[in-house]
Amino acid sequence: MGRQVSGSIRRGPPVSLTVNGVAVTAYAGETLAAVLLANETTVFNRTQSGEARAPFCNMGTCFECQVGVARGGNTTFRWLRACVTPAEDGMAVRAGEHLQPPETH
Amino acid sequence: MQTELAIVGAGPAGMAAAEVAADHGVHVTLIDEQPTPGGQFLRQPPVGWKVSGWLDGAAYRAGKELLGRVSADRRPEWIMQTSVAGIFVVDDGGDGRFTLLLEDSGSDGGTRQLKTDAVLIAAGCFDLPVVFPGWNLPGVMAAGGIQAFVKSQQFVPGKRFLFVGSHPLQLVVAGQIVQAGGSVAGVLFAQSRRRALELLKHPSVALRASDKLVETAALLRRLRTAGVPVRFGRTVLRANGQDSLESVTTVPVRPDGRFDRKAAEDVDCDQLGVCFGFLSSSELARQAGVDCRWAPSRGGWIAEHDATMASSVAGIYVAGETTGVAGSDVAALEGRIAGLACAVELGRLDAGRARRLMRVPARRLQQSNRFARFLADLSWPGHTLFDQLMTDPATLCKCEEVKVGTLRYQLEQNPGMTTASAVKLFSRVGMGLCQGRYCHFALTRLMAGHLGVPEDSVGGFTSRFPAKPVSIESLIGHAGVAPTEPAGKASLLRSSAAVAPRPPAAVGPGA
Repeated sequence: MGRQVSGSIRRGPPVSLTVNGVAVTAYAGETLAAVLLANETTVFNRTQSGEARAPFCNMGTCFECQVGVARGGNTTFRWLRACVTPAEDGMAVRAGEHLQPPETH
Repeated sequence: MQTELAIVGAGPAGMAAAEVAADHGVHVTLIDEQPTPGGQFLRQPPVGWKVSGWLDGAAYRAGKELLGRVSADRRPEWIMQTSVAGIFVVDDGGDGRFTLLLEDSGSDGGTRQLKTDAVLIAAGCFDLPVVFPGWNLPGVMAAGGIQAFVKSQQFVPGKRFLFVGSHPLQLVVAGQIVQAGGSVAGVLFAQSRRRALELLKHPSVALRASDKLVETAALLRRLRTAGVPVRFGRTVLRANGQDSLESVTTVPVRPDGRFDRKAAEDVDCDQLGVCFGFLSSSELARQAGVDCRWAPSRGGWIAEHDATMASSVAGIYVAGETTGVAGSDVAALEGRIAGLACAVELGRLDAGRARRLMRVPARRLQQSNRFARFLADLSWPGHTLFDQLMTDPATLCKCEEVKVGTLRYQLEQNPGMTTASAVKLFSRVGMGLCQGRYCHFALTRLMAGHLGVPEDSVGGFTSRFPAKPVSIESLIGHAGVAPTEPAGKASLLRSSAAVAPRPPAAVGPGA
């Protein structure tokens, strides 16, 4: 789901990251929310009861879009709001996990 | 860090205030959660992107001019990607009357203090959360959230969109989706056609805000040409789907406001934009002790102020949507007045001269407010609609997963529970990460209806520090104690690394 707007737009340079282990390419400056939706990821996290959640406000206030993020070769995942976190080279994103501490590995 | 005037929020109100205060020699520091200024109204593309024709249209012209000027202005200091977690009055006779606790809202975490002599809270607003079954399903979004994807990220976040609501913004967002190449299944206004179109025809409004009306009428035509049905007297009943939105059940709204459930229809779509208005971001003002009043159709709890935008707390000023949702024109005018008042407060401007300088913006403010009130009244869907949407299976508090039915039962079992704060302690409603922003409106309505009392008697959740969630690790880092556990052991832990000031790397449209 989702598509880039075409037209006279010069986006940032490409960056490579993984979403649930799968390599994806994004443009520097894109938020993880846009990157995930562009790559068919609709479930960003699951509540304790298992309900699926995804971006609602897209401005950092609702906390519905949290995903686990480890950056730059780090193995520590932290819960971050996908709508205010820009994609970076080497990021690893875990989507669809239950809202509890993402494990370290 | 130290400044004379700390402005929280770099939207139209904050930018206008910064410009005016700096003109009178005030040292201004602007703080915003986004990487670039402009607020939600002028949410910019990411730094380093070039988008030609960004936010074309008469409605954005004045705002973009202000953004261009303030972005190029070298006088204010900028602290971007930063949340203000609290405002504290300092009474130690030292530097600055207030201390602001800031947290890096980028991904690094970390807190620091800003000392200041005066504060302007121009924190904006967010889309009114309306509770109905399925509103928390992936694919259901605030219309403003969908718009931010298009405006800033240049991204259409779905295949087929439906918009439901009562606020004309949904026409604007639907138009932007169509323009960006997306498919819109329909735009549904809960109001009757007569009531909705009143907005376009009202003579006093036409005289004052002709630009906006021309634009709305043109939008309506453009959507019709694109084959997008715009329907009146119809709204959402529930959103359907397992792990993501598959369809939306809609119902006619009869002239008496009642839903005609027998005539329900399903619309296939993967994105639903919800657009019933906005709530003021007044949490920080309330945390700082500023008097607020309940005005549901104008933003819920809104900050009170005098004619110079001074709040009930000496040295704290308020402007823009924090004082009641009225749009960017009103916000910029209030910001201008507040900027002058702050210059007086800080001894840079004579009070008499300030009064003269305020005359023109005050007069324009009166006119713009008239239009804003009219728009707010016509856009207000009314309690009957909220009450019918809030059925038992709907989730009232999405953070703590409390259903409407559960809460109704708890209210029945505990007749002594008469305030929002009491319900919070008992039910966990409002205890999650959104800090009650997304449930307090619905809870207030539900309680007032259940108890048969006025909504303001239910009261808001007590707004305490931190006004935005701050990790314990950030706070510990702030106190100068090194965390002993590696980050990542608990949810939402973040690095407490020292935070360098983050100026906007490149500001201005299409920079």
